[in-house]
Amino acid sequence: MDKDFIARGVKRCSTGRFLLWIAPWAALLAFGLYSAGLCLVKGLNQTNMDNRFPFGLWIFLDLTVIALGAGAFFTGFLLYILKLDELKAVISSAVVIGLVCYSGAIAVLLVDVGQPLRAWFTFWYPNVHSMLTEVTFCLSCYLTVLAIEYLPIVLKNRKLRQVPSFLVFEFELHKLIYVLAGVGTFLSFFHQGSLGGLYGVLRGRPFAFREGLAVWPSTFFLFILSAAAVGPSFIVLTTHLVEKLSRRRLVRQQALELLGRISGLLLAVYVLAKTIDTLVWINRTSPESGFPAAQYYSWKPFGTWILFAEIVLFGLAPALVLLAPRLRARRAWLVSAAGLACFGVALNRFVMTVQTLAVPTLSFDQFVSYFPSWQEIGTFLAVVAYGVLVYSLSFRYLQLFPEERELKMAQAAEESSAELVGRY
Amino acid sequence: MLPWNYGFHWNAGTLIFLGAFYTVLVVVATTVIRAAFHSRRELAAHHEESIRWHSDFHDLPAADRVCRHVLTGEFKHRECPHAFDCRECETHAKLIARHPLAPPAEPEEDILGMSFPLDRFYHRGHTWVHPEADGAVTIGLDDLGRRLLGNPDAVRFPALGAHIQANGTAFQVTKRDVQIDVLAPVDGAVVATGSAAGDWCLRVKPDASGEPAFRHLLRGSEIRPWLQREMERLQLALTAEGAAPTLADGGVPVADIAAGYPKADWDAVCGEMFLRP
Amino acid sequence: MNKRYGMSIDIDKCTGCGACMVACAVENNVPALPGANDRRGITWMRVYRVDNGEEYPDRRSAFVPMLCQQCGVETPCAHVCPQQAVDVDPATGIVGQMPERCLGCRYCMAACPYHARYFNWWDPQWPAGMEKTLNPDVAPRMRGVVEKCNFCHGRYHRAKERAAAAGEKDIRPGEYIPACVEACPAGAIRFGDLNDPSSEVAAARHEAGSFRLLEKLGTDPKIYYHSTRDWVRQIAFAPKPGGKENLHG
Repeated sequence: MDKDFIARGVKRCSTGRFLLWIAPWAALLAFGLYSAGLCLVKGLNQTNMDNRFPFGLWIFLDLTVIALGAGAFFTGFLLYILKLDELKAVISSAVVIGLVCYSGAIAVLLVDVGQPLRAWFTFWYPNVHSMLTEVTFCLSCYLTVLAIEYLPIVLKNRKLRQVPSFLVFEFELHKLIYVLAGVGTFLSFFHQGSLGGLYGVLRGRPFAFREGLAVWPSTFFLFILSAAAVGPSFIVLTTHLVEKLSRRRLVRQQALELLGRISGLLLAVYVLAKTIDTLVWINRTSPESGFPAAQYYSWKPFGTWILFAEIVLFGLAPALVLLAPRLRARRAWLVSAAGLACFGVALNRFVMTVQTLAVPTLSFDQFVSYFPSWQEIGTFLAVVAYGVLVYSLSFRYLQLFPEERELKMAQAAEESSAELVGRY
Repeated sequence: MLPWNYGFHWNAGTLIFLGAFYTVLVVVATTVIRAAFHSRRELAAHHEESIRWHSDFHDLPAADRVCRHVLTGEFKHRECPHAFDCRECETHAKLIARHPLAPPAEPEEDILGMSFPLDRFYHRGHTWVHPEADGAVTIGLDDLGRRLLGNPDAVRFPALGAHIQANGTAFQVTKRDVQIDVLAPVDGAVVATGSAAGDWCLRVKPDASGEPAFRHLLRGSEIRPWLQREMERLQLALTAEGAAPTLADGGVPVADIAAGYPKADWDAVCGEMFLRP
Repeated sequence: MNKRYGMSIDIDKCTGCGACMVACAVENNVPALPGANDRRGITWMRVYRVDNGEEYPDRRSAFVPMLCQQCGVETPCAHVCPQQAVDVDPATGIVGQMPERCLGCRYCMAACPYHARYFNWWDPQWPAGMEKTLNPDVAPRMRGVVEKCNFCHGRYHRAKERAAAAGEKDIRPGEYIPACVEACPAGAIRFGDLNDPSSEVAAARHEAGSFRLLEKLGTDPKIYYHSTRDWVRQIAFAPKPGGKENLHG
């Protein structure tokens, strides 16, 4: 039925099966849109956030999603600027993941603010000293860049490229894609950083406050590093997942191993930097603000275990696995380590968002907890469903893994030679 | 954002921040506009066929992009840098100047059970070019191409007088619901059309004549090694697309291969063999 | 000369009656929302109760009126607001919130160490008839924006207008007083210009037992508290979860 839209020589499931796969996600999306609609129409009283917990699930997951989406800019940077050609195999998939992550995060942010219709105020009256201004500008610019990077992938669709102007525009745009990759890298550097700076500048929250370079607190650099470290890991994870779900080989093991190695290297640097930062913060920054660091970890459940988990369990451990060539060559190890790394960054974003707000600053204040309402969870599920839908459609109709056909042929060659060997 | 807005201060922070922002906007906009502008120019110059081929060639598996001199064993590995257009290739010019193509060892026309007359040139997209006495050329599907598309369901030839470009589309063949755009072997104007089942398909008045105009086409002793490779590719494609690998024993392909492999994904097989990824 | 309005609150005099809270809400048209609780309600002025953690008969309590501390240096909220909806007026030192500019991102609330900022979780509404009591000098705020104490900015403007009408260049001390100061029956809150050495507040800050909350954060708050009791003065510092005092509100 939709055969004409599917790239030549790749196998996709039947339209019926595809619809069957899409249906539950579409239902989830509908439910999520209803939740988000409630928040927009009735206001943020639909959430469980309050004056003490002004940020909640949404901000935590937005930060996580944007860190995981960093694979798009980082792979682009490695491929087009540093010329690591092996990564051509995953760049399209990385762009789609980036697009999904960023557009989803921005959509949730628009539900999260009290007056979404005033979003343009930040552009019109920017406070250039605010990290959030930097985030807003860079995120919106980068989403534009991602959309433009996604355009050639769409135009390369088998049916669309029969239109000569689409074909030619795709070709010409792809020639200039390195410019977009460069701009994307610049923008990502700053917004990943300023998302970390968001917390690092909070002088009034010594748990988050950090010293740094010029206007940028140390969290600025830590967030860049950690995002660049898990971006490739998340691509390994998603590619593996897509391979499992579609039951076909899409990318050469070497490409994934390269991603794993880069991820491991950056993760190791990040763990080192994070450790130094934590020590400086415990011994100098926090006490200077009048807050002995030990007190943050006496509010249960946030014990020092969370620090250990963040740095060692989900930082050092996956970094070591990814750096060991023998372990990384085994798919199970590679994917598990990538998963741990992603989880570690999610935990870091959780700590920065939730623990920062939960620990009291005033002595007569209480430790507060918060659990998201179903509308908050629903809104976020909408983003997950939207991501799965966009990715599924892209995987079906666009050529996300250019090596897929070649790998299929290679597999056929192996099979036929095996058969010959078996015959004699 | 703008100097007359509330809260705007002429200070270093504002200038750096907004400077970076506007630079990014300008760079992104310029990139898109430049691409659009170039596209318009290319479209006006009717380069879309050549662009389509370059884009397709780029998407071919590395194993399919090898230089013809790898087929003959002169190189071990070499990827064609000119999208199979040897007319612009200096390496090719040097090589044929140094070692003119030896005539085939035995003057056979029957290669692997298929008929490949030596009086004509062959294009890697499975067409042949036969120079005629009047300066025109006839173009047809080669024997392997005919066996792949044998008894086509429909053929669409370009209009008389239409201009075809080498590696652009020569004509369209439909077989088993699969539409294949057969690559044109030469540049020229169509002067007559034949039939896909007949001896020739198109009669073309080429834009240029003489040896350099046909330099990109295979000939003589190159045909056999090329064809051997093509048979390997066909076998691989058939295996990959769900047909049993019966050709492995060196059997001769049947006249209508499509009919012989009803289960194979014919779209993929033909795309592979006619260099249309 | 620029003014630097500040406050001095004597915790030893505060009885916790809550008159300041009521006066504040009435003056500033703070809506009485049916769904509001202590974590979602709007209380620009809020009185916390603290105690010394001892058992009877040694137990002692005190009341701490909390409002925006009007930070003067690196003002956390003004620093982080992405669209200049918070500004520190150089003429008065007052940290002002412009709800009509606010996007409702709540970053300022995360930045404020005193939890003195409030978000409008609901549309503002008043019980029938109560709209007649609204203060015409203060605009009510819409849903989805942040608000906080601004030292009754409406009163400041009225005082300025009166002074201008009377042909005077500036307002005189005592002509501009926030509603909470006026309402406190115990006279625990004093208000004035910290730059004016003759003002009560300027003198009070140097009294023994005067302190500011979380001074070490380095934000130079303009609200001074005062108590002669040592255990009360501990509220100035960071929480000590294992400590003896139980300073929970």
